[in-house]
Amino acid sequence: MAEHNISVSGSQKTRILILDDEAIVCKRLSPAFQKAGYSVETFNDSASAKARIDTDRFDIVITDLKMEGLDGMKFLEHVKETWPETSVIVITGFATPDTAKESFRKGAFDFVAKPFKLGEILDTVKRLEAKIKG
Amino acid sequence: MKRLNGLFDFLGRWRSSRDMLPFLVLFRKFRSILERNNKILELMSDMGDKLGGEYVFDRQYIKDACEMASDNVFKLISDLCILTKSDNVELFVAFERIQHELHEELSGRRVVPTVSPVISIDNVNGDFKEEVGNKFAVIGDIKSFLGLPTPDGFVFTTKAFFDFMEYGGHLKYAQKLLASWRNEELPFDAICDEIVKRILSSPIPKDIIAGMNSALKAISKKHKGEELMFAVRSSAWGEDSGFSFAGQYESVLNVSKDGIPDAYRKVVASAYTHEAWHYRLHRGFREHEMAMAVGCQLMVSAVASGAMYTYAPLPLEKEAMVISSAWGLGPAVVQGTAESDMFILDRMPPHKVLSEEVDLHKDKMLVSDSSGGTVWKDTPERLRRRSSLSPYQIEYLAQSAMNIERYYKRPQDVEWAFDDKGELYILQARPLNIRPEIPQARTDVGLATRSAEIIFSGKGTVVQQGVASGKVYIALKDDDLNDFPYGSILVTRHTSPKYGRVMPRAHGIITDIGSPTGHMATLAREYRIPAIVGTDVATGLLETGDEITMDATRNTIYRGSVKELTRFELAEQEVFEETYEYRLLKRLLRKIYPLHLVDSRTRDFRPEKCLTFHDITRYVHEKAVEKLIDLSENYQKYHDRVPKRFKSKLPLGLMVIDIDGGLDAPQEAKTVALENIASMPLKALLEGLVNSGMWGTEPVSMDIGSFMSSLTRTLVSTHSSQNSSTERNLAVVSREYMNLNLKLGYHYTVVNAFIDDEPNDNYVFFRFMGGVTDFGRRSRRARFIAGILEHLDFLVELHGDLVAGRLKKMSKERMCSRTMIIGALIGYTRQLDVEMATDSHIAHFHSDFLEKVKPMMEAFNGRA
Repeated sequence: MAEHNISVSGSQKTRILILDDEAIVCKRLSPAFQKAGYSVETFNDSASAKARIDTDRFDIVITDLKMEGLDGMKFLEHVKETWPETSVIVITGFATPDTAKESFRKGAFDFVAKPFKLGEILDTVKRLEAKIKG
Repeated sequence: MKRLNGLFDFLGRWRSSRDMLPFLVLFRKFRSILERNNKILELMSDMGDKLGGEYVFDRQYIKDACEMASDNVFKLISDLCILTKSDNVELFVAFERIQHELHEELSGRRVVPTVSPVISIDNVNGDFKEEVGNKFAVIGDIKSFLGLPTPDGFVFTTKAFFDFMEYGGHLKYAQKLLASWRNEELPFDAICDEIVKRILSSPIPKDIIAGMNSALKAISKKHKGEELMFAVRSSAWGEDSGFSFAGQYESVLNVSKDGIPDAYRKVVASAYTHEAWHYRLHRGFREHEMAMAVGCQLMVSAVASGAMYTYAPLPLEKEAMVISSAWGLGPAVVQGTAESDMFILDRMPPHKVLSEEVDLHKDKMLVSDSSGGTVWKDTPERLRRRSSLSPYQIEYLAQSAMNIERYYKRPQDVEWAFDDKGELYILQARPLNIRPEIPQARTDVGLATRSAEIIFSGKGTVVQQGVASGKVYIALKDDDLNDFPYGSILVTRHTSPKYGRVMPRAHGIITDIGSPTGHMATLAREYRIPAIVGTDVATGLLETGDEITMDATRNTIYRGSVKELTRFELAEQEVFEETYEYRLLKRLLRKIYPLHLVDSRTRDFRPEKCLTFHDITRYVHEKAVEKLIDLSENYQKYHDRVPKRFKSKLPLGLMVIDIDGGLDAPQEAKTVALENIASMPLKALLEGLVNSGMWGTEPVSMDIGSFMSSLTRTLVSTHSSQNSSTERNLAVVSREYMNLNLKLGYHYTVVNAFIDDEPNDNYVFFRFMGGVTDFGRRSRRARFIAGILEHLDFLVELHGDLVAGRLKKMSKERMCSRTMIIGALIGYTRQLDVEMATDSHIAHFHSDFLEKVKPMMEAFNGRA
């Protein structure tokens, strides 16, 4: 069930890839980020997201942790190995200090517990952009 | 049930022992009930917040939250069992029932009150899409939530469809035919004809017919003496939603009662016509995704009817809506077969007519035929050149259609009719497949709102997301609501469920005070009206008539109308309120959140009547408070504390029993002064009573009537009570709690309060009764007290000379300042009844008291 959704991407827009096996998360995040001026692609399974990462670089990856097949932690590792410059934000409903620590150790920029406010995740991405720019 | 049995065993053993638990232990149990009660309310409110639209949540969250709520409610009941030494079987039974329903919903099995083959439209709403199809689920919403008139009727559910199709073996047969077509054994046309023919001649199962007959009986009863004719319409799964299936399925108009079974077959069969079946196959629909509910609505004897688009599909009229209207029945307009009038209106209230084209050749009109069906006839000469709608009808129609758009957050295509009495009926509404245009360069909300003036932002809590533009209407008194203008934004001091009645007319709600947990919040979500509560500043910064735009998604109030925001909302790809997760959470919350046990004085306030977790929580809370008051008043021998006398210049005779951190004095001390009081509510109250200077010490001059009355009462009292000359008053306190019983002269005051850092825990109950003078004077004093309490935001009840007031869920500071004023009020009113000779005294003392407590309030606010 590879669902894949690409929005119209402008050339200078920050590119975000979102991976969450619960379709509702992608459905809600995608328009919110598009409205805020980002280019967004969403995936509901890690295999297709991984395939996409293998072919293209994204500025920011937002990923869930607990998923069938390749889990979020492994996906995070894979993104960082493939594109060290890509920043990763982890979103999860099973937030524990241990998983948070592990995410940071593997190079995640931030760790956001579900459910979160749309404003919260937008702010996180804005902070991240500010950091990237410098 | 294992858990329950264990608990009952424990309680059984425990009840047999005669010893009572020490008061302190029971008090701690009470505290834990309060804490848990608060936790549950918070959890429910959190779950409710998720429906507001600010949050991103998934199914896992829904599951976890339900489990947590169940767990806490179970423990709450267990705590009550210990506090009240009872087994509360009925409460546990209610709990089990609710928990079971939650489990069923979570595992994907709908708990529907009815799975009958026929349902009345009155019992249908948006949650019944699976049962009655999209079209009639929408009609249910329009009728029940938006309060707009729709014709009476009933629906053959999708259950009826499956029963009917299985009864005749049609579904299997359709699959078989499809296979032969795929194997190229039969042409597509042939299989369509074959199945349609089969359905049209198939018998309908008895229980469906029985359901239909009882629905018809109910309608006949309501419309006595009328000849009932029906419009029989398709309402398939998915129809009128993402896929419109526009015009694919059949509608049969003007059908008599006896003709309904045939019309039903016709509509069901229309799912298998060449066009419809092909459309489904072409769009990847599986056969098991096909179910046809069929609605039967009374025919409206339409004088004029037509269609209305809330967003005109005209490039030059981007902010306009359009009405097409003709004399007679609607299909003429919808199918474009009749000459019709067209009106272009402003989308903003009051929906001014921007242009109108009245067709001067409306020579033919479609009407019901007396023998069933419809027929074209000549339009009466006098109507041909006349507008088919009056200005008033245009305005009302526009308001109604906009309410539907506001609810679904999508431009709407609304079919309507005005009958011979001038009544409007909404026949159908579906999302319009056009979106307001947003220039590519301006897809960024920040850019669009940059030039708008922000009145305030980030204040209070969003209860329901969304965008609304309109004029402010400040409602301060109940009767203001009668004049509430359509399309306004309601601004009030408090949240209150009473505002529910203007919700169908309001486009937004903002309050100064109020919690997102309240009943009003639930109503705002039901109506999907953008709402922000607890802003503190709304009535201060806004005035009636101000034009504003409220963005209750980003929690900002702008001056003027910011059209971009509205357009953004209507242009969103998916409406959050239509997602599965939203609907699931909403269905679950129906079993958790609504409060039915509102009034503890009614017969219905009992465990058997608990339908939701909120009901159980409310019941337990009430019983726990009752029990604690009972314990502190009637079981003094169990207090393992030495009562201490409160030292004061006033003759209060107050004894204080401290159960937990309420006094800052040595164990063995026999007296305490104000500075030793650590109990937050008692300290506030005594400060107001002792230090406000309100305790009138001057002897009050009495007129002869009062004197005589007081004399007789004194005599009676002296006889009946041995201790009437010495006051013996009692306060049981902890750091946050106070139960105060004051008898001053001839009236009684009881104040029960709990105040700590968590607003949801906080309450002050106040009861005042009695007096020395005649009933007239005493009740005047009571009315005065009630007025002051209302001024202090209490919910007040007045019965003769008895005043009861309750205040809940305010911050510690507000609670303390109000408790302090209560103290002052007790002092002020001590002998006030004597002076209350006429009604005009009530207003006089009202302003006098408020003037006198002003400095105290200000001093307190300064401190806080």
